[in-house]
Amino acid sequence: MASPKTHKNDLDVGNDLLRLRITLSSEQVRGYAVAARMPGGRFESDAAAQREGLPGQIVPGNLSIALFCRLIAESLPGAKLQRLNATFRGIVRPGEPLSLHGVVTERREETSGVFLECDLVLESTEGERRVTGTATVLL
Amino acid sequence: MTGSTKKPRGAVLLDLDRSVVGSEFDRTVLDPVTADEIREYASFTGEPVGVNKAGIMTAPASFVLRMRGKRFMPRNLPDLGRSGFDAGKDIEILGDVHPGDVLTTVSTVHDLYEKTGRSGAMTFLVLRSVITNQKGERVAVIDQRMMFR
Repeated sequence: MASPKTHKNDLDVGNDLLRLRITLSSEQVRGYAVAARMPGGRFESDAAAQREGLPGQIVPGNLSIALFCRLIAESLPGAKLQRLNATFRGIVRPGEPLSLHGVVTERREETSGVFLECDLVLESTEGERRVTGTATVLL
Repeated sequence: MTGSTKKPRGAVLLDLDRSVVGSEFDRTVLDPVTADEIREYASFTGEPVGVNKAGIMTAPASFVLRMRGKRFMPRNLPDLGRSGFDAGKDIEILGDVHPGDVLTTVSTVHDLYEKTGRSGAMTFLVLRSVITNQKGERVAVIDQRMMFR
């Protein structure tokens, strides 16, 4: 395991990315949905989401992906995200403490630069995985 | 599925009409990107707003997810089941987005396939959006997987 302070160019297979602990507020989710042009009651309020048969307001999948992008950006400053794949495994709710983390699964050196493959996880603080993903990053 | 024939439980694997695969269902030229939009978007995600070597603002990586066409779903889909939800996305980022860029999004039905899992048969619809800038350069390709059961 690498310390979070390990320089990005030294990261190798098995090294962890930073761990982010985030709790999204209802207002933040609503604001994101507007800024991201994602209309839908499910992102606006508990009452509107319940009318759609949901337990309450939910976090758009795109915002979970954006949090993965933030994890990459904070863990590997200056690196270029090339590809990101995300699989939504469960509902993410505002007000719920979330943990985001990742690990380097491959490092390869090509003529265009050094690439890292990373596995990414967004989970509850109890370890219930809500979104998983992979990323390809050019250092 | 063919026409309006009600599908028996678990029988979706046999008769899925894939003729829609490859069809374009939306082409939208979006309003020019503004610096305020980029800043506002980033304020909700916490992603850094970058600056390129020429000193020009660069949108955060996930900003391309905001580029939605006028039509979200194709009109001519076969009956895919009771309910659908967003199962995931695959994003390829090919270029930067800057204030003033005029982006075009072109959406096609990229794939339609079925899988059987522990909870039964599921149909996956993959919608691909290719986003290009005013120079005709691709800035992103986004595959959205919708799951129906």
